[in-house]
Order: sequence, then structure tokens, then C-alpha cells
Amino acid sequence: MNSTPLDRDGAGAGEVSVAVQDLVKRFGAFTAVDHVTFSTRKGEVFGFLGPNGSGKSTTIRILCGLLRPTSGRAVVAGFDVASDPESVRRRIGYMSQKFSLYNDLTVLENLRFYGGLYGVTGARLSQRINWALRMAGLHGREDSRTATLSGGWKQRLALGCAVLHRPPIVFLDEPTSGVDPLSRRQFWELIQQMAEEGVTVFVSTHYMDEAEYCNRLALLMRGRLIALGAPSELKLGAVQGDLMLLETDSLQRAIEAVRKLPQVRDAAVFGNALHLVVAGAADANQPIRAALAAARAHVLRLEVIRPSLEDAFVALTASAAAAEPIR
Amino acid sequence: MFGRIWQFVIKEFIQVWRDPRARFSLIVPPIIQVIIFGYAANFDVHNVPTAILDLDHSMESRELIARFAASGYFRVDDVLASRARIGQLIDRGRVALAIQILPGFAEDMRKRDDASVQVILDGTDSNTALIALGYVNQIAQQYQQDYRRDYLNRIAPLAARSAPQVMLEQRPWYNNNLEDRLFFVPGTLGSVMMVMVMTLTAFAIVREREIGTLEQIMVTPIRPLEFIVGKTIPYLIIALFELAVISVVGVLWFEVPMRGSALILVAGSLLFICGVLGVGLLISTVSNTQQQAMVVSFFFIQPAITLSGFGFPISSMPAALQWLTYLDPLRYYLVVLRGTFLKGIGMDRLWPQFAGMAAFAVVTLAVAAARFRKTLE
Amino acid sequence: MSARRLFALARKEMIQIRRDPRSLIVVLLMPVMLMALMGYGIGLDQTDIPLCVYDREGSQLSQDLLKRFVSNRYFSLKLNAEDYRALADAIESGRCTVGIVIPLYFSKLLNAGQPASVQAVIDATDNNTANLIIGYTQAVVARFSADVQIDYQQRRGPALGAPVLNVEARTWFNEELESRNFIVPGVVALVMAVIGTFLTSLTIAREWERGTMEQLISTPVAPLEVIAGKLIPYYVIGMVDAGSCAAISAWWFEVPFRGSLLLLFGASSLFLIGVLLLGFMISALAKTQLAASQFALLTTFLPAFLLSGFAFPIDQMPAAVRMVTRVFPARYYVTTLKSIFLKGTGAAALAVPLAAMLIFAAIVGGAAVRAFRKTLD
Repeated sequence: MNSTPLDRDGAGAGEVSVAVQDLVKRFGAFTAVDHVTFSTRKGEVFGFLGPNGSGKSTTIRILCGLLRPTSGRAVVAGFDVASDPESVRRRIGYMSQKFSLYNDLTVLENLRFYGGLYGVTGARLSQRINWALRMAGLHGREDSRTATLSGGWKQRLALGCAVLHRPPIVFLDEPTSGVDPLSRRQFWELIQQMAEEGVTVFVSTHYMDEAEYCNRLALLMRGRLIALGAPSELKLGAVQGDLMLLETDSLQRAIEAVRKLPQVRDAAVFGNALHLVVAGAADANQPIRAALAAARAHVLRLEVIRPSLEDAFVALTASAAAAEPIR
Repeated sequence: MFGRIWQFVIKEFIQVWRDPRARFSLIVPPIIQVIIFGYAANFDVHNVPTAILDLDHSMESRELIARFAASGYFRVDDVLASRARIGQLIDRGRVALAIQILPGFAEDMRKRDDASVQVILDGTDSNTALIALGYVNQIAQQYQQDYRRDYLNRIAPLAARSAPQVMLEQRPWYNNNLEDRLFFVPGTLGSVMMVMVMTLTAFAIVREREIGTLEQIMVTPIRPLEFIVGKTIPYLIIALFELAVISVVGVLWFEVPMRGSALILVAGSLLFICGVLGVGLLISTVSNTQQQAMVVSFFFIQPAITLSGFGFPISSMPAALQWLTYLDPLRYYLVVLRGTFLKGIGMDRLWPQFAGMAAFAVVTLAVAAARFRKTLE
Repeated sequence: MSARRLFALARKEMIQIRRDPRSLIVVLLMPVMLMALMGYGIGLDQTDIPLCVYDREGSQLSQDLLKRFVSNRYFSLKLNAEDYRALADAIESGRCTVGIVIPLYFSKLLNAGQPASVQAVIDATDNNTANLIIGYTQAVVARFSADVQIDYQQRRGPALGAPVLNVEARTWFNEELESRNFIVPGVVALVMAVIGTFLTSLTIAREWERGTMEQLISTPVAPLEVIAGKLIPYYVIGMVDAGSCAAISAWWFEVPFRGSLLLLFGASSLFLIGVLLLGFMISALAKTQLAASQFALLTTFLPAFLLSGFAFPIDQMPAAVRMVTRVFPARYYVTTLKSIFLKGTGAAALAVPLAAMLIFAAIVGGAAVRAFRKTLD
């Protein structure tokens, strides 16, 4: 594991709501979660970022008590998930990747059903149902079959069902996959609202723009936590040196040419341009231009830019992959 | 706790009721099954297709043949002229037996020698053959006795009057007319109930697992027992409704008598349904896919029917299989069904069956609740 | 039809079958289990029927008669009752199926040359058993009666002589009238019906539920190719099962196999293709696994069990139900199986059932393609 400054377990100030220590989950010979340690504080939006199969869902399922950890400890809302999953379940809301409400029940019936399971009754239930309907924008559609709702509505209804009992911690496993951009934005507004009310929101995603909304991010790769910190910290810390943007008329010739230069640590294609990581922009500028001219690639633009989260992501996963060959 | 169970019950009912196909399949197929299978499942032997070859052409042979034809057990389709035809007819399965009277039959009878009637049976259906052979024997026996009495009357009327004779008085209890239907209709009720309840519940949990809703339920604070009870109650009510529907068909359509107490019938049915529900839910909790659930439940249904005494007597099974029948809830339930419908017996005789079903239900439901883990592993 | 596309489909199916070892084991073990269960579990030829006797007289003669019952292999003495109540109790509780009551003055009447009667109380809830019991008791009593008569007349003076009518029975095809020989060949049909419809309808319905069928349809495969690609692997499995069933029948249960193996193979293929196509049609129509499996159970397994003549003779069903049996191919296949095994019938004599299975396969195949095409629109 790299010892970057980001690699620390810093929940910072405030009440700790989820604490994970050396968590390991193995399925046979396959290690899905490999010694992961972190903690979150109350009212935080905590993002889980990583490629598919990196162990995001497995970790969330362990925290919800759906899977048993092979070793290590996870404490959610003050209760150990392995020894007291029931106490944990009373205090969390969970929304899985797959839309998992009953398609053959109506909106209201689904809400009542989950309310019943969470033990929300009477006036409080109708108040919460009202809240959920308003939140999801489903007033007037209470009696529609859930199957007839479109993706964004279904997803907001699922969130409504998951938080009917006002849990202090909410786990959302890729909640926005397969939803249109507008609905995604609305959904994130809801998440921010909940966080302001003091709810800890645990959300996994592979959208970079969504990751920007999180207070803190944990970057997972092949079951390992390779970086942890606020998006801004990650962006700064991930790229060692300066990041330069290069626009050219021939990406292919350009990338071959600059990769041969000792000053260029890394070169990657971003859209129709190249992002180059160099030790120092001032020292690298001239050699790069020379090499490109030799390779008959015209420079349209070459300048220092601030790294984006995606740059950080690429850099971190690349260095993690280099540090440890594929098993 | 009750609130959670209650929500579950409501939800299951809405789901069943809202699906028109499910609504249909709860009512129509059971009725059709009971009617068709009530008729199909029986071992009655009447009007067995029979060929007759009379090579004696005597008064005696014609008298004997008339008795066969009049008995109602045999339907004489073909009166043959040659022996060669018998082989053809039996080979093709056109007749199940052939009765052949050889030349000299009447003469043997008159001479008070041993006379004989020959019967050729198609043994393929061994049960029909065996019972038909019994009838042939009865008719021949009766004919011989009558013939002898006539003969004695003619030559020695005094001796005839004082001939000792042992007669058999048959007392077939519970089913005076020896109708197979009365035996099979309660058995069909039990089997149809089992198939319905099994197929409904075997899917109950695994379907939610496949759709993904089970994962959502697992993270709620519901307890495994609450979950199992919540899944049980709706199907229990549906099954009782089924029982009412098919019992009405049995009593009104097949005119099965209802000699016992309806209360005992309902109580026994409740225990039986709980046991079957337990098996169904157990299968559903351990299956990963609906296909697995279906295959496994078939593996339960099939032996359960075969070993229940539904149509095949338990007493003629090998000892090992007879022991196995004690694990079959349908075995007990059929005794209760036949006991209340046909025999009209009460709890003083049926309690062992109740005990057997209760033990089965408790064990299966408990194991189902214990096996239902709120984890994905 | 393209061989390459067909091969790709069949290969995919085979891989999926192999990846689900639980189901594969089930499919391959099923014939063994069903064979053992039916072969041993269904014994219609009753021996050791639980018997209870109540001798009110206790004379030499009455004991003589009872001894004949006790030593008979069909009966097994369970209770020597002290009074009538004990006998009635044994029958009511189901401990004994038949009770023989010998009245007071039994030997006195007979010695005086008077007729006397013996009572047989039979639990007739199971009518088939009751019929067998009546046949057996009648045979015992008639023999006893004849012996008493001869004895009486010999004591009284010179024999008058009387004819004895013997029934000489010859049984073809199943000489010992063993019900195992009658039941076991039909089990092949049950196994094939289950594999054929049950499994295919589920696997295809699963593809609909998961959306992979839409993916398949979007490729340039023709409906016929999809059907064939799905069916070939199950055809292979079904034929392996049929082969193992036939082997178990012939070698383990020693059911005579008198016909041609080639004919067995051909008839089995015809039947299997028919039920496979039916399974395909069901799943194309039903689309959910629950509905498909219930429908499959209703249209294949239960008819193969109850409407095929597998155990219950079709002759004895009411005309309407007999018509229903003609719709299901199981009836023809069971007839064919029993004929090939026990009778050694050739193809010519089986032309009608073979043609019926062919017609069924053609009609269902056409309907399956149509149902499938329709779902594409």
C-alpha cells in the first residue's frame, strides 16, 4: 500500500457513525475486501469510488449485516455488524443497486409495507409517507402500480422506503445507475438535504461528477482501499508534480513521442487531448515542444491545469496497479 | 411484532389477488383436477373387454357364457369361431381376457367328471387381470354349485336338502357398494391440496430472492420467525379456501358422504397445510433459483403421493419403504380425510394421525425459520 | 437453418446445464429415484393382508377353517379377538383390513347337513384391496365348503358324485401377474414427461424473465433454430434418462424385455420430442417461471401419472375422461412401452399409438413456433 498523505483514517471532528477496522471478506480463494480501514462521522456524505468488482457492494453489504466479515471489525451506529446485526438494521436504511420494491404493489402499498417492517405506525407513518411522497414528487400517484413509474421516480420511491424510519445512517449502493442526468441531480439534492439533517449517507458510485458531491471519498481497487480523503485532497495529492494539458493534431504520434521523454512521468488520453504528468512544468515545456516537432505533431495548446478527480483516479489506480501486479 | 407480520400478510394477499393469472389458477385448475383425477384414479374392474370362444356349443356352455355376460364384470365384445383370433386380440390389447370352452365340457359336467373352463389373461395390467380372474372363479364356482344342486334335486331330492354348505357373508364396511371412487376422491383432495400448496410456497421466497426484494427485506429489523409466519399465514388462508372449494366438489359432484365432523376435517387440514407449507418454505429458503425450487419440490411431491397410500397400499410395500411413509404428511392426512368422509370416526381414533402431522409441521416450520438467514451467504 | 448457429445455441445450453451441477445431478438421479420408488412402492398384488379372527364357537371345524386363512400367504394373522367389539375396533382403527367371524353352532349346523355362514368384515375404504380380499376369502371358503360336503357325503354312504368345475387360467405376458412388471415400464414415461416439459419450460421461462431471450431474438437466429438449439441438449438428457430407466427395469427389476430396442428408441424419441415442444410452447405463452411450472405440472406430469393407463386402467374411466386421455401423448407412450417390454409387439401393431405421438409432436411443434413468433411481434 502506498503511504501517500491521503492514506489515513481521518474522520476528523464529530461523532463517529461507522468505524471499520481491518475488514476482510473472502469468497473461497477470492478476496473481495482486503484489510479495509476507515471511519465516517455523523452528517457526512461518504463516497465509495472504484471500478466494478472493486469491493464496493461487498463492503456495503457487510455494513448492512447482509454478509459476514471473514475477519476484522465493523461498527455501525455503535453496534458490531457481526455480533449484533439486528440492532444495526434498526438504525440504517439500505437501497441496493437493483431496484427492489414490489412492482406489483402501488406506491402507497410499498410505503406502507416497508413502514410496517420498520415498525413505523400510526400518525408517524402517515406523516413519513407524506414526506416520502413529497420528496419523491409522487403526490397524486399514490395508487399507481410501481411497475408503471419511470426510473427516476422508482429510485426516489426506493429511497423514500429505505428512510421511512428516519435512520441515522443510510447506505446507497450505486443508487443512480441507469437513471437520466436530471434525475441524478435531483437525487443528489435529496442526499445533500439528508446530510444537512445529520444523516450519514454512504454512497457508492462510479460517476466522477457524483463523487465530487461527497464530503469524503474512499477509493477502492481490487478490494483494497488505495486512497481516502476529501475530493480536493485527492486531486492535489494524487498527482505528484504538475499536470499539463496538450492539444495536438495527432494524438497517436504525440503520445508516442512524449512518453519517451524522461521528464514525462505519465501520459493519458482525456477526450481529444492528452494529460501529461511532469515533475515541473517549467522544465518540461521545452523538451515536450521539441519532441513533438520532431514527431511532426502540431501543438495547438500546452498549459498547466488543475487536476480533476478523474486524473486523480487514473493516477491512483495506475500507481496502485504498478505497486502490486495483478493477482 | 404483530404489526410487521400483519404488513407481510397484507402484501402477500395484494400480490396474489392483483395477478389475474394467480387468481384464476387458485380456483379453476384445482376443480378441474379433482374432477378429472377423481374419475381417472380408480382400480374398478367392470365391463372388462372379453372374448369368448365356445367350441362345445352345448346348453351348459351357453348357460355359463350367459352368466359371464350378465355379471357386469365382463363386456363380451367378440364371440369367436377360432382359437387363432384370441392371440391377435390379446396381442393388440383389444381384449383383456379370453374365456374358452373346449368340446366335451357339457359331457364332463354330465358325467360328473372334472370339467374345465380355460381363461387366457393379458397379464400386462396385472391388477385388472387378478381381479377379473377372481370374478371368473366366483362365477364358475357358483355355476358348479347350482349345477350340483340341480343334479342332486333330480336324483336324490332328500340328500340335496341336507347338503352342508359354507356360505360367505360379505360385510364391506364404509363403502357398501364397493365403489372405488369413494376411496379415491378423498385421496385426490389431499394430493391436489399438497401440489397446490407446495408449488405456491416453494416459489414464495426464492422469487423474492431472484427479483432482489429479499435483500431489501433482510436489512429491515424483521425477525426470521416473523418472516416465516408472515409468509405462512396468507398461504394457509388460501389453502383453506382451496380445501373448501374442492371438498364441495367432492361432496356435491362425486357424492362422497361426509360422515364425520367438519371441525375435525378443518383441524386436520390446518395441521397438514402447515406441514406442507413448512416444506415449501424450507425448499424456498435453500434454493437459489425458481427452477431449483421447482425441481426439489417435485422430488418431494412425487414420493409423498406414491408413499401416502393414495392408491397403492402401504402394507404391500417393503419394510424400508413402509418406515419411510411415516415421514410423509400426506399419509396421515389421507387417513384423516377418509376417516372423516367415509368412516365418520372421531378424535379418539384419529389422534395418532394428528400427532404425526403436528410433529411434521413443527419440525419443518422450525427448520425453515432456522434456515432462513438474514444474510446473503 | 444454419448448423453453426444451431451449434452455438446448443453449446450455450450445454454449458449452462453443466454450470448448474445441482440440477444436473437431480436430472440424472431422477430416473433412479422414481424407478426405486415406483418399482418397490407400488405393489398392487397384496400379500400379508392384516387379518383378525373371532371364533365364537371354537370347535374343531371352525379352527380348521381359520387355519386355512392363517396358512394362506395372502393373509397375516394380527389379532385373535375375544369378542366382536375387539374385532370391530381393530378394523375401525385400521389395524386390520379384514375380520373373519365364525358364528355359534357353526359345526353343529354343518354336521346336521345344514348350510352355515361365515362373516367377512372388510374395511372397504380401499376398494381395490377389498375386491382382492373378497376374491381370496371366497376361494378359501369355497374350497372348505366343497371339502365339508365331500366329507359329509362320504360319512353318509356311497358317494353320489358331483362335477367339479375348474378354472384353468393361463396368463400371457406377465405370467406371475406381478404388478411390478405392470408398473415399472410406465415409469419411463413419467420420467420423460417430467424432463421434457418441466425442465424445458422452466429454462425457457427463465430466459424470458431475465431478458436474455430478447437478446437472442435480436440476433439473426430463426425461431426454429432457437427451438432446436434449446431442445437438442434436453433431448440428449432425456434419452440418457430413458436408457437408464430401461436398464434398471430390465436388470434390476427383471421386467421381461421382449421387444426391439430400436423400436423403444424410436418411440421414446417421438414422445420426448412431443413433450419438449410442449414445454417450449408453455414457456413461450406463460413467460414467468411460476406459471410455466404450474402449467407444465398440470399438462404433463399429472396426466402421465393418472391419465395414461400407467396404473389406472383407461377402460374403467367414464367416456368423457377417456376422451381427455386421448389428447395427452402419455397414454400412447405408456401403451407402447408396455407392449414393447412385455408383449414384444412390433412396429406394425403399434402403428396407431406411434402415429398419434407423431401427430401430437407435429401439432404442438407448429403451435410452439407460432407462439414463439407471436411473442416476437
